[in-house]
Amino acid sequence: MDEKLSRGALVAITVLRVFVGWHFLYEGLTKLTSAGWSAAGYMKQARGPFAEFFRWVAANPNMLDHANTVTMWGLTIVGVLLILGLFTRLASLGGIAFILLFYLCNPPFIGYFYSIPSEGSYLIVNKNLVEVCALAVIYFTGSGRFAGLDRLVHLLFAKQNRLAVA
Amino acid sequence: MADQDQKSGMPPNDEPRKLDRRDLLKGLSTVPALGLFGYAWHTQRAYQQAAAEAQVATTQAADVQTVNVALLGAGAQGQVLIDSMLRIPGLRFRAVCDIWTEYNQKRVVNTLKKFKHEVNAYEDYREMLDKEKEIDAVVIATPDFWHAQHAIDCLKAGKHVYCEKEMSTTVEGARSMVVAARETGKLLQIGHQRRSNPRYLHCYNKLLLEAKLLGRICTVNGQWNRAVTPDLGAPDRYAIPQARLTQYGFKDMQQFRNWRWYKGKGGGPIVDLGSHQIDIYSWFLGANPTYVTASGDNLYHDPATHEWYDTVMVIYDFATPAGPAKAYYQTQTTNGSQGYFENFMGDQGTLLLSESEVNYAGQLYRDPNAPAWDEWVQKGYISAPKEQESKPKSEGAIADVRESVSPDQHLVPVTLRDPYHQPHLQNFFDSVRGKAKLNCPADVAFETAVAVLKVNEAVEAKTRLAFKPEDFKV
Repeated sequence: MDEKLSRGALVAITVLRVFVGWHFLYEGLTKLTSAGWSAAGYMKQARGPFAEFFRWVAANPNMLDHANTVTMWGLTIVGVLLILGLFTRLASLGGIAFILLFYLCNPPFIGYFYSIPSEGSYLIVNKNLVEVCALAVIYFTGSGRFAGLDRLVHLLFAKQNRLAVA
Repeated sequence: MADQDQKSGMPPNDEPRKLDRRDLLKGLSTVPALGLFGYAWHTQRAYQQAAAEAQVATTQAADVQTVNVALLGAGAQGQVLIDSMLRIPGLRFRAVCDIWTEYNQKRVVNTLKKFKHEVNAYEDYREMLDKEKEIDAVVIATPDFWHAQHAIDCLKAGKHVYCEKEMSTTVEGARSMVVAARETGKLLQIGHQRRSNPRYLHCYNKLLLEAKLLGRICTVNGQWNRAVTPDLGAPDRYAIPQARLTQYGFKDMQQFRNWRWYKGKGGGPIVDLGSHQIDIYSWFLGANPTYVTASGDNLYHDPATHEWYDTVMVIYDFATPAGPAKAYYQTQTTNGSQGYFENFMGDQGTLLLSESEVNYAGQLYRDPNAPAWDEWVQKGYISAPKEQESKPKSEGAIADVRESVSPDQHLVPVTLRDPYHQPHLQNFFDSVRGKAKLNCPADVAFETAVAVLKVNEAVEAKTRLAFKPEDFKV
């Protein structure tokens, strides 16, 4: 990085990474431990440009089964990796992919009105989108290399130092 | 630069170097967060489990005799019944039997394990009956076409039986169940759970029998409208092997999952949905029907996958002790408008009720010409009437002289706080302990089965069919 981040910024981004990871891990584990959890309900009331795709997945038992498994385990694994700062950039990308899918399934676009309760009031930007940006920050700063297992991995296996620096 | 990097613990770029203590500390600095998560997760789960356990009954309740229970059929309905039974004191689950060992069986076994019931799992109910000698009662929630054989074999094995409605897909099957219960002397309760619902009992015993609030009931209408149900489906990895499906009477996995769509497996929508409510018609009117007219068709679905009609409209004639009455019932499975309810209309009042605690949870309308209901409000049988709005709804509207004056609206002040099936199961287990009488024994449910299954005959015959009094006798 040409412009270095202040130590405070790196600490703040590390805390951000742990919090986002915590959120992913809890979401994943909650789904894994609730018998019969399924994304079908969420996907069935999809809106927006990909609505047909999500409904198709929800209506196809095999696809739905895969989607459920990938979601439950994916969220859990991304969560653990983010907290530990291990393979942070890969985990961030995975997290972004998951949340973009959630966002695109029920997008709060202009002109859409949902009957299901949401946790707040949104227009275009919702907390999902904010979390995507948080993950983008984590991705671009390679936060795990400042404070996280990536630092050790990198020092042990990398040929060149590319640590996030203050 | 190097000095600054040194201070912050950062090595200069592009220069490999070895790990030092600072790297180790920084590298591991967020690991404790995972530990903290683990602690928070564990503590929270413990609270949740404690809350769930507080909801369910303790099996070691000192003052009730323990009943050993087996569940036969662990599908959606079996799981609904399990949720209710877990809240009933004094039950000890011993076995679960389901042919879908890959999925449903596992799921119910795990649920029971969570509440400290160690159960043996079976695919074949005969093996379960052979091995589980200590079982007192079997709760059956298998597809309808299995009910008769399952119930009869369980009764003959000396078990008391709670069997989901409909008793059978045929009158002969239902009749043989009544005979088996009589011959074995064991209890056979059929799952028309409204018979034990405190609101229905209140309406019948207090409002109809004692207070006679409705006067002479001449007409009844009711419905259960349900939106289109998609194919339930199942992922391939949970598929039951074809040999096992064939052994248990299913063509394929699709038919196993959607057996209600097929003739010979289920009894059609009038059985799936209507049976519960037509049971109430006979109960509240105090009579079985004398005639039935019905029109049913498959208006919407592909007949290749939906052998039954999806819509049926039925008119029953009743000869009640108070005089003749007509009762209309409809069920359609293409649109869920207004859900389900039963509406009893007498010359003095109307009773609109349903099993739901949300919609039609007991409303009474007093005809303006009927005697005042103050006495019943004072006794707490019904709520005080809702005050009517004094202003006309739209200015300038003139009421036509032929329009009826609005009746007073009262509410039935009885609420069920438990799951809908719990009181009926409780009544069954109390009866097993000899402390109650069954609210829906086999011979009562048989009368309902006769009334309901005749609808399918009337749909086929496209004409009005008569019941003979002996049709309802075993």
